[in-house]
Amino acid sequence: MKLNVLQENLAKAVTQASRFVSVRSQLPILGNILLKATKTKLTISSTNLEISVVTQIGAKIEEEGEISIPSKVISDLVNNLSKETVLLESEKEQLKISTSGFTSKVLGMNASDFPKIPNILTNPFVLPKKELVESLSQVIFATSTDETRPILTGVLVIIDKNDLFLVATDGFRLSKKKIRIDSQKNQKSLQKIVIPKGILSELGRSTDEISEIQFEIQEKEKQVIFGLGDVVLSSKILEGEYPDFEKIIPKSSQISVRLDKEEFLRAVKLASIFAREAANIVKLKLSKDSVKVLAESSSSGSQETQVEAKIEGEIKDFEISFNYRFLEEFLHSVVGDEVKMEFTTMDKAGVFTDSTDPDYLHLIMPVRIQN
Amino acid sequence: MDNKSSWKDTLEIVKVSVSPAIFSTWFSQTHLAKAQEMGERMLVEVGCSSLFVKSTIESRYFGLIQDSISKVIGKPCDVVFVIKENPEKGVVKELNISPLFQSEGKKDEKNENLLEVLNRAKIRPNFNFENFAVSGSNQMAHAAALAVSDSLGSAYNPLFIWGGVGVGKTHLMGAVGNSALKKNSSLKVLLCTGESFTNDIIEGIRNKTTQSFRDKYRKLDLLLIDDIQFIAGKDAVQEEFFHTFNTVTAAGGQVILTSDRQPSEIARLEERLRSRFEAGLIVDIAPPDFELRCAITQIKAKEKGIVLEMEHIQMIAGNIDSARKIEGVLIKLMTEIKLKHLEISNELIESVLGKGIETNGKIVKKDPSEVVEAVSSYYQIGKRSLLGDSRARPVARPRQILMYLLRTHLGIPLEEVGRLVGGRDHTTVMHAVGKITELATTDVHIREDISKIKLGI
Repeated sequence: MKLNVLQENLAKAVTQASRFVSVRSQLPILGNILLKATKTKLTISSTNLEISVVTQIGAKIEEEGEISIPSKVISDLVNNLSKETVLLESEKEQLKISTSGFTSKVLGMNASDFPKIPNILTNPFVLPKKELVESLSQVIFATSTDETRPILTGVLVIIDKNDLFLVATDGFRLSKKKIRIDSQKNQKSLQKIVIPKGILSELGRSTDEISEIQFEIQEKEKQVIFGLGDVVLSSKILEGEYPDFEKIIPKSSQISVRLDKEEFLRAVKLASIFAREAANIVKLKLSKDSVKVLAESSSSGSQETQVEAKIEGEIKDFEISFNYRFLEEFLHSVVGDEVKMEFTTMDKAGVFTDSTDPDYLHLIMPVRIQN
Repeated sequence: MDNKSSWKDTLEIVKVSVSPAIFSTWFSQTHLAKAQEMGERMLVEVGCSSLFVKSTIESRYFGLIQDSISKVIGKPCDVVFVIKENPEKGVVKELNISPLFQSEGKKDEKNENLLEVLNRAKIRPNFNFENFAVSGSNQMAHAAALAVSDSLGSAYNPLFIWGGVGVGKTHLMGAVGNSALKKNSSLKVLLCTGESFTNDIIEGIRNKTTQSFRDKYRKLDLLLIDDIQFIAGKDAVQEEFFHTFNTVTAAGGQVILTSDRQPSEIARLEERLRSRFEAGLIVDIAPPDFELRCAITQIKAKEKGIVLEMEHIQMIAGNIDSARKIEGVLIKLMTEIKLKHLEISNELIESVLGKGIETNGKIVKKDPSEVVEAVSSYYQIGKRSLLGDSRARPVARPRQILMYLLRTHLGIPLEEVGRLVGGRDHTTVMHAVGKITELATTDVHIREDISKIKLGI
């Protein structure tokens, strides 16, 4: 293998690939990334056996071939090189990297041990990138980090004719977002899969200027593949029974509260100063045309912020408490200027929506307080 | 040998041949998904956790796996690889339900609680307003009960419901308790019969625990007493009931009573009790009419999971006049269907009706000649022609009704009916009974005729 490639392109691809490498693998080959030169392209792949990436960058190939190189070494090296053409040359199981005034020999491994990574999409859906990435950011934060229930660490994707639903929950809150898609490619009526959140947040990191993301489910292989221009990301599908989220979404509500997002966010942040020391609890107290956000800590003090609101329904002394982190994360995810909260009783989940976006729904379970 | 242990043994053999790193990366995440015998050979399905595990093992270690598993099982094996999560891995995960999903679970718990509460109140859960069919005969009582359940203690206190057997008095009373408890499960509600009220007092007096008796009844928010006429003539019980009634109503509690006759007709009821009963609302429930019986049949059939055609429903409702008997017929029908695997048909229902009537035949013990008299006077046909040979319809139809009544209402054997009605054959009687049963389903006049003649007997 012998080729010339621009440092910027190589650095970007190698950095991305190094994020997919498994750090603590017992098998050394899995700590490597694979470089493969074919015709006019340099293909860079890596995997941690759950998620994987294949990137193609343009290069001037003099000799085809492949080699696998420890990810840390190569990414550190390439990122610190000056912006110029880099010459890569493999000699048996060594990679020679050279620019003007710099040469290095990196010990690699035989590429034949490297796992085969899927990088071909046969019949993909096409999803608008901007919308998908924005929607994912409204959902991913609600996934669980608790590995004892792996299914909740992923995002449930439901494809139902013209609609694609994204759902995530960690058992305390739930986010649901609907995207409309082109149904012509969709032969099956209903598909439900759970995709690990890692691969989905990687979609948002892609800075390439592309407008569409290709998406394919390979049911037999239990894989999902995303095509973003020259980059192909794949991940295994999480297996297991996703909890029946439809039935916990309240069908009706007693009270509805509309308030300004920024004002409410500021109030929650102010409350969080004291709430941090008191199990993260902030209390919302409803009155005729405002919401009081209260927090107190036995060691540092208390605060009370009043936020103007439009309130409908029977509010007689209604109080409800939430974990401020959940409120804050929800408010950060809202695009519009106004949020709507709907409550039934103080021990039932509150429904949070963006007034301007009917496709987005968020549930937060209140904290129960003994009086 | 089961899949799990044979796979464990296979992996032990594999472990020897590969490096620990390879073993832990690739093989530790596999399991034996399926082993199926195919004649001489075994078909073995190996579940791999991901595509990479599958493709690596499949391409590099296929031979090793096949040899090892064949040795362990002792038969040549064909190995296929699938991507499948080890089902045992997920066993622990459902232990703690997170709060968001728990809230739903809570609801179930609440339902269970309601059952428990109903049980404590001695109210049958299926006594509710939803499955209470309303028609002209019980409309008033139903409306009163609804009003009472909406505003306990203030609408009509006491509510006194009276009517014959099997018209739905207890059902209506239970429904009030049921809906009250559904709204607020902490209410103190008790449904008891006049008889068990009596027994409780006797018990109290005998064991000197009248105080606990008083605690039980006097602190109730809703007291439901079925068949209150039982306390008539029992002085001590009436006295105790009088005080209980006063305490409960004074504290804003509701009292509902049922009886088989109205207060003014209950003999030996103390005057002060009678006047109190009469101070509330007294409603009566008349025996169900044909349409209501149809509705009841439908509701009960649905509860029992029997699918009935409208025709069948009308056949049952047309021939049976009390709600309890309808229940009995449906139970019989259900057993016939389940035990003999019969399809529901007109004949089956006819035969069930016939049997039902036979056992219920004891109810009326009347001289057959009185029935003959009643029929002949109702239709204004001379006895001679009624029992005679004429086959003209104006005579034959009343004759068939006569046979039907003798058979079903008095429960007289077929042969005997034939002998009574001018020495006819028992098959003629069978035909007549079948004919009228059928007509009663469809023909309003016949139904009316029959019920009027019954009144006359």
